[in-house]
Amino acid sequence: MAHTAHTVKRYRGLMDWLTTVDHKKIGVLYLIAGALFFGIGGIEAILIRIQLIKPMNDFVDPQTFNELITMHGTTMIFLGVMPIIFALMNAIVPLQIGARDVAFPFLNSLGFWTFFFGGLLLNLSWLIGGVPDAGWTSYVPLSSTEYSPHHGVDFYTLGLQISGIGTLIGGINFLATIINMRAPGMSFMRMPMFTWASFITSALILFAFPAVTVGLVLLTFDRLFGGNFFYIPNGGSIVLWQHIFWIFGHPEVYILILPAFGIISDVISTFSRKRLFGYSSMVFATVLIGFLGFMVWAHHMFTVGLGPVANALFSIATMLIAVPTGIKIFNWLFTMWGGSIKFTAANLYAVGFIPTFVMGGVTGVMLASAPADFQFHDTYFVVAHFHYVIVGGLVLGLFSGLHYWWPKMFGRVLAEGLGKATFWMFYIGFQLTFFVQHFLGLTGMPRRVVTYLPNQGFDTMNLISTVGAIMMGIGVLMFLYNIVITSRKPANASNDPWEDGRTLEWTIPSPPPEYNFKQTPLVRGYDAWWKEKMDGNTEMKPAEPIGSIHMPSPSILPFFMSIGLFIAGLGFMFAKDEFGSGIVGFLFNNYIISGLGLLITFGCMFLRSVIDDHGYHIEKEELEDKGVKA
Amino acid sequence: MATQQLTSDDTKRRHKHEGPQKHIIAFIFSIVLTLIAFATVGAAGEVNPTFTIIILLVMAVLQVIVQMGYWMHMKDKGHMLPIVFMIIGAFIAFTCIVMGIYWVWWP
Amino acid sequence: MSASAHHAEEHWPHEPEKATLEGRNKVLGFWLFLGGESVLFGTLFATFLALRDQVGDGPTAAELFKLPMVAAATMILLVSSLTSVFAVQALHRKDVKAMLNWLIVTVILGFGFLALEIYEFVEYIHEGHTFTTSAFSSAFYTLVGFHGAHVAFGVAWITILIVQIFKKGLNFVTAPKIYVSAIYWHFIDVVWVFIFTVVYLMGKVG
Repeated sequence: MAHTAHTVKRYRGLMDWLTTVDHKKIGVLYLIAGALFFGIGGIEAILIRIQLIKPMNDFVDPQTFNELITMHGTTMIFLGVMPIIFALMNAIVPLQIGARDVAFPFLNSLGFWTFFFGGLLLNLSWLIGGVPDAGWTSYVPLSSTEYSPHHGVDFYTLGLQISGIGTLIGGINFLATIINMRAPGMSFMRMPMFTWASFITSALILFAFPAVTVGLVLLTFDRLFGGNFFYIPNGGSIVLWQHIFWIFGHPEVYILILPAFGIISDVISTFSRKRLFGYSSMVFATVLIGFLGFMVWAHHMFTVGLGPVANALFSIATMLIAVPTGIKIFNWLFTMWGGSIKFTAANLYAVGFIPTFVMGGVTGVMLASAPADFQFHDTYFVVAHFHYVIVGGLVLGLFSGLHYWWPKMFGRVLAEGLGKATFWMFYIGFQLTFFVQHFLGLTGMPRRVVTYLPNQGFDTMNLISTVGAIMMGIGVLMFLYNIVITSRKPANASNDPWEDGRTLEWTIPSPPPEYNFKQTPLVRGYDAWWKEKMDGNTEMKPAEPIGSIHMPSPSILPFFMSIGLFIAGLGFMFAKDEFGSGIVGFLFNNYIISGLGLLITFGCMFLRSVIDDHGYHIEKEELEDKGVKA
Repeated sequence: MATQQLTSDDTKRRHKHEGPQKHIIAFIFSIVLTLIAFATVGAAGEVNPTFTIIILLVMAVLQVIVQMGYWMHMKDKGHMLPIVFMIIGAFIAFTCIVMGIYWVWWP
Repeated sequence: MSASAHHAEEHWPHEPEKATLEGRNKVLGFWLFLGGESVLFGTLFATFLALRDQVGDGPTAAELFKLPMVAAATMILLVSSLTSVFAVQALHRKDVKAMLNWLIVTVILGFGFLALEIYEFVEYIHEGHTFTTSAFSSAFYTLVGFHGAHVAFGVAWITILIVQIFKKGLNFVTAPKIYVSAIYWHFIDVVWVFIFTVVYLMGKVG
């Protein structure tokens, strides 16, 4: 095959990061952005806990407190943990299925930048125009212009709208990647659990995010253009917002937790040196959780008054989820049973995950009982429950995954001793923070209150909770310190640094070359790499001869497309503000800024459509020069 | 997808392009279903409203099935995944609509 | 891709849109996107159905809607869907000229639909049915407007594709684009079927 040589400009330094379409680099970008927002959300959490350390505290005023809880929830869920999930998906999923790339490298980059600028817009609210203060659920009428007249909620709606587009694009990309890009022999029922979890999570993103897109559009229309969707005097309904929010919001919980399930499955199986117990039931349970996740949204609304029939229906559906989740828990336990377990830092997090997540699950079933929920509703019991699921489940899972795949992403193994110390610091801090909150809730402390009176039985438990939160903060700092000291060591991780790797990502160098696999591997069974090891092979059987590899070219368009949306968001938000008579006012009030932003975005879409992306080839000789396989 | 790679191979054998007939038939079907729907509403007063709405919805669903099957090629080979994802999407959309009708207002 | 594009001259498969991995990815990815769009419109329909009786002081659906105009819009979109499927058939035959003609007809019909819709909206506004009148009016304009925005996007998109085909010709890079835009166009038509049924006809019935 004679290739017409397309010379493609290769960028270096900052431009390389802005234009990259390499899924591994986009993974790193997601990780950095996620860590940034996770840090912001973490600081907000600690400020909340300092305010609540003692009764009648006045560390922050009530308005700031509302802003802190709103931004803590929103930032952590949409901008903190989701991108870290996407970081791991980007870095690992293509490697686990033996693919050279994702299905849509350009869209992958677009997804990241849109998410990033959406998050930036949301957090810009701390600097200009007012901070969202209506809770992360932004219930109307609290979030309407009547009760939230400043721009806070506009930052919420537009920021989440833009970052939501990014997430949706990412979800479609991973679905198409997993469906179309698997290596020969990598059938669906041979995919590693993390890939399966990513697949189902992406499907949930695909079907859940359009709902919140609509919800946010309606709220934006109400606030900016005088719509009546949630304005009761003109016939609007506030219950509608709750439904739409939770039709998205509940699947979102599973979007968060399923990847953690996947990570834990891979980590436990690797460090037990055993095949994952009940693989097919694991897959089945994941699919079932994904499906049931859409059928239970109204359990967030038991106290709204939907009536006994609806409450009973959603109550039962919610309790059903405990069944597939229970299957998973027992599968992890049976995987460890009789295995030669290594308690690395990654595995400590994974094993620590199991009891914590079980607790979060059990309180979930308690909350699923509608009559009991009338008691628990809006108390710290709920706060304890979802933090056990999200921190004790997802965040522990993410730390586990980061320790496990760090050598694959960066070529360096994180310091093990420090990693274990971090685990204990974080884990004990976590239990201190949230275990007592169950009892705070049961004693009657409502959530989202800025302070409380002394001698109601809340004082000691709140103090303990704050101490725990600070320990968690120290744990996160220890993790960051670990990253710093590790990055100073030479990048000398081997292909399979844990030596017990089971899946395809451990057959290629750490970090992998830009084309991932010099030759696409032939997959001969579940746990493809482990199978080859057991057959006495030192590398995978290739499915093709060495040949030139086609790569997509880098592009700056996604970056500008997202900036366009960012500018348009700001433009719409301030279109009706008073600016005096200056030029700025003229530009905003006549929708020139918002129009300009949309023009940039659509212009970039136009350019993307008309300019063919020929990509470039990495030639055979080049591959053989640097192609060292262990 | 293996099936998708296959289709281009085995159509080489029958590389015969289908004419416009079946699409015109689908078009006529759509027109007829649309006319029935409009006519039912035109005859309102004589027909019971609940019955009218049932007819309207049946006509709409039939028309969508015809159009998706023929014009969006969903009845062709290699469309298993599109069908699966569209059905899930339609199912969740339907769930939302049930919510909108039954659980937003109540006596 | 360039290599396979040259190849196209020699052999044009039955489904050129799926001849390359990029093409298969694009078609699959677009179907996935439409799955998400179904939920998007489902949520909009749910909103509309929840609020359609909340007319406040404004006109009701039965007072407002004029069925002849809706019927005309429906016919236009239905015919455009047929012309767009003819374009895809021409694409499969590699009959570039016929394909371009059908695409141009599709775009013109799309413009016709949009013009009718704008005319309709202006008419309603004169009758005191504006976006801010009632919950019903907000929901109506949002649902039908979202569909209209999709039509407008489709018209712009297909126009750009027509220009591209003129310049670059039909090959394995452009074929999937045409195919996918046709799928999109049919999807818009399918959504319209539900809009004229649920919004207009059911609105008339009450």
